[in-house]
Amino acid sequence: MAVSTTQAALEFVGLLEAQYWIAFIAILVLSALKAVTVAGWYMHMREEPRAITYLALAGLLGVVALTAGAGYSVL
Amino acid sequence: MTEDVHTNGGTDSHETGSQDDGGHLPPKSSVKRWLVTTNHKDVGILYMITSLFFLVFGGILAFMIRMQLWQSGPFILTDLGYNQIVTAHGLLMVFWFLSPFAFGLANYLVPLQIGADDLAFPRLNAVSYWLYLFSGVLLGISFFQGSSLPTGWTLYAPLNLPAFIPPVAELGSMSGILALALFIASVTIGSVNFITTMYRMRAEGLRMRDIPLFSISILLTVWMMLFAFAALLAALMLLSFDHVFAGEVGTGYFGSEEGGSLLWTHLFWFFGHPEVYIVFFPALGVMAEVVQTFSGRRLVGRKWFIIAMALVAIQSFIVWMHHMFLTAINLPIKTVIMVTTIGISLPFDLMVFALIYTMIKGQVRWKTPFLFVLGAIVLFIIGGITGVFLGAIVLDYSFRGTYWVVAHFHYTMASGAVALVGGIYYWYPKITGKMYNEFLGKVHFVAAFVGFNLLYFPMFVVWDTPRRWFHYSGTVAPEIPFTNITLFETGFTIWHQMATVGAFLFGFSFLIMFYNLFVSLYSDRVVDESPWAYTGSAEWAVSSPPPEGNFPGTPSFATGKLSFLDRAETDGGTETAATDGGVAHAAQSHEQHADHTSWWPLGMSLTALILGLGISGLEASYFVWPFLFAIPAFVAFIGIFGARSDGYTHLHGAFVGAAVPLLALFALVFHLHHGIPGGLAEANQYFWISLIGITSGLGTLVAMGYESFHVPTPTMSEQWPFEGVSNTKLGMWVFIGSDIILFGAFIGSYIFMRIRANWTQWWDIAHNNGLTHHPVWPGLLNTYLLLASSFTVVLALAYAKRGSRRGTVTALSVTFVGATLFLLNKGIEWVDLYIHQGWQFDSGPAASTFYLTTGLHAAHVVVGMLIMLFLVARAYTGAYWSDGEDAQTIEYFGLYWHFVDIVWLFLFPLFYIL
Ligand code: HEM
Ligand SMILES: [Cu+2]
Repeated sequence: MAVSTTQAALEFVGLLEAQYWIAFIAILVLSALKAVTVAGWYMHMREEPRAITYLALAGLLGVVALTAGAGYSVL
Repeated sequence: MTEDVHTNGGTDSHETGSQDDGGHLPPKSSVKRWLVTTNHKDVGILYMITSLFFLVFGGILAFMIRMQLWQSGPFILTDLGYNQIVTAHGLLMVFWFLSPFAFGLANYLVPLQIGADDLAFPRLNAVSYWLYLFSGVLLGISFFQGSSLPTGWTLYAPLNLPAFIPPVAELGSMSGILALALFIASVTIGSVNFITTMYRMRAEGLRMRDIPLFSISILLTVWMMLFAFAALLAALMLLSFDHVFAGEVGTGYFGSEEGGSLLWTHLFWFFGHPEVYIVFFPALGVMAEVVQTFSGRRLVGRKWFIIAMALVAIQSFIVWMHHMFLTAINLPIKTVIMVTTIGISLPFDLMVFALIYTMIKGQVRWKTPFLFVLGAIVLFIIGGITGVFLGAIVLDYSFRGTYWVVAHFHYTMASGAVALVGGIYYWYPKITGKMYNEFLGKVHFVAAFVGFNLLYFPMFVVWDTPRRWFHYSGTVAPEIPFTNITLFETGFTIWHQMATVGAFLFGFSFLIMFYNLFVSLYSDRVVDESPWAYTGSAEWAVSSPPPEGNFPGTPSFATGKLSFLDRAETDGGTETAATDGGVAHAAQSHEQHADHTSWWPLGMSLTALILGLGISGLEASYFVWPFLFAIPAFVAFIGIFGARSDGYTHLHGAFVGAAVPLLALFALVFHLHHGIPGGLAEANQYFWISLIGITSGLGTLVAMGYESFHVPTPTMSEQWPFEGVSNTKLGMWVFIGSDIILFGAFIGSYIFMRIRANWTQWWDIAHNNGLTHHPVWPGLLNTYLLLASSFTVVLALAYAKRGSRRGTVTALSVTFVGATLFLLNKGIEWVDLYIHQGWQFDSGPAASTFYLTTGLHAAHVVVGMLIMLFLVARAYTGAYWSDGEDAQTIEYFGLYWHFVDIVWLFLFPLFYIL
């Protein structure tokens, strides 16, 4: 499982030039998928109380707020 | 108490654990006690006394500021001197006095209020304290390195960069930055500790929403701390990088043309705004407790008060750009922020009304704590209203950078301090068992209140004075904002002189307090449980001062009221609890007594101070070497301490043996680079200080890892919403939460700079800056390696649970090898990029962000590898397979390792593909 998902990312290396933003989204979605897999299974997030997930999401939300706010402020 | 907790005994480390029966605390009169204690009440007292010391330190600096401003021209201080003093005053008051004082109270009171015997990780709590103390010491040392930071507490770029700092202040500036970093380490450990404690160790029947308001305010504070300080840490790490590696202006992070100085304000205020609430929230908690007690009733609208606080805590992370209205950010975002800022003042209104309404509906008793709190509320209202002015974009165009802001934040922050002083008087009888002198208390209040207003109110009148200036204009008459109406026909000077007089009055009023508190210690005004007629929280139900173990029995709220159950009956519970893996630290052995002492928190923090001092003057070309040379020592330490603690095995011998070739290897590389002995002779003394600091630091960490330190987890405790997650595991997760922000801030900085530069042409720009070829495959290979190594950690855990020693050791070792390959591959890549292609740290933003972000990740990998070495040694002697209990240690490590893996999953596309 671990290996197969990574290989998917490999394929994109070629396709980036033509459709940058589509490839961009696809690549990040794939990364997110892998991350969710690792968090959910390896880190047992699935079995832990939901509050653990919220904790991690809270951190993520903070990062998103900072990045989106700062990024948008100079667009 | 807990007669026999090691149901999972039988590990050989248990033997060594019981030898050490010195777990009991020396008496309070002995100095040793205060150096080795891990008891939360002791640590709380240490925090309070230390922070009062820093209050005096910061206060003296404040006097110097006010003296300088006595007249409009040059006076007692040099320009650089003034800049240093303004900076240190701000830093000391915000970081080293306000928060730590509140945390002194929190340390003392939170376990009492929630019915816990201690914090979840007492030894780490002591670490927090000592790191805090030594971080302050480092800041103090910076004054003796030529000059301390001269940047203002906000450290705005580009004034925080070597190019703009006077050369004499360079060393001291680095020390200041590192002192802040140490402080953050302390705060983060503390936050993890409090969060874990408050969710997992409440007495039976105590729901989250029912815990006393002071504790609730602390809970919200630590959540904000956890996330906000991680962002500051990121900013400080980037800044240190700029200092050490990026020489010229226009390179690195904050000197970068791609919005470098704007990036600093984003990172700083993303931390900074939550920070102002972090210092204020505990004061809010004190206000609520004191108003309740002295109005003789529960807070009106208690539920809404809590909801409002929670709302403010969350919202505090989306208003930071109101400190940036005069920067290059665009108008739409300013407007959004204006709305969120005005919005955040509404919950505050609600809280203030709840407090006032409680007084109206209750029967007020005008005791000293109440006076201080009432005074603080009045001051806070003034501060809050003037803050809303600042939150309006157009008004702020005029107010920004003036004494209006100075007056505003002193009316808010210093009113928080006034409320905390109320807290001192309120809990003094609880902590000392003696009553303070009421008359002197009231005198103190009057002097402080008058002094406060005399000090800060004139600043509103002469609001037009530019802040942080050492000379102001003496002739201009103060005007009402936005009019040409002059208020008084005087110049600024008289108002500043008033403020100076106020400062002395305010300052000296505290002498009355110190006198009062000191003399009362020896008075005969003994208090029993509570001197107050009405109290609602559990700390007042035990004697004053509370007994060592906090409660006469196991506290329980199951009946709706606090009662104490027989310890003997509930002990059975404790026994099963130990199988939860309620250990304080990785790889603990179990023994009988919950009360423990340890020298290591002090020792470890001291080495951190030495290391910080060393790094402050470490040159770029020598930067990695102390750290590399410390690794062989670390390996040897594991061998030595491991043999002592777990009994000698061949593996321990192998560890000690391996240290020699490892050292030789590093020495060889060093020789090729700098030459031995020439390179060593040329190294400055900071190289040696760093080397001593990091080597002994790793030594203390190993020693701490092997120290027997067991904390039983009570079973009869409320653990919502984290039932079934052991304390250590929750602590690990909370820590990961802050690490998410740390990495996120690094990644966010990259995204910010890339957007500024031009997202799609990023790599083209890099090619113009010296990059010839940035292949994808090293990153891809490393992705495979990390994912595979994550999988082997999962295997290690499975083996450990099954009781297979060989399997565990093998799987961990394979993980270690995977990590080594990862670093090797990365090393080859860096050598190619950096040396062969000449794409260096300061070759433009793409280079800086690439090296630093992946570098931070690599540092995490190295830390993981060091922990693995320790785990392998422990696993080899059989630590992790007794019925699967201790196997959890491997699970905790796995959490960290998988997280590092996940981060890479995002770094790979961001820095290699896109
Ligand atoms: C209740 C509503 C509040 C509002 C709307 C508000 C708004 C603002 C704004 C807009 C600024 C930026 C001014 C400028 O630099 O031009 C500011 C500065 C500041 N505020 Fe507040 N504030 C509020 C409450 C507080 C509280 C509770 C505290 C702390 C306990 C606080 C502490 C500060 C500090 C320290 C600064 C100055 C930062 C610096 O530049 O050094 N404020 N406030
Ligand atoms: Cu703010």
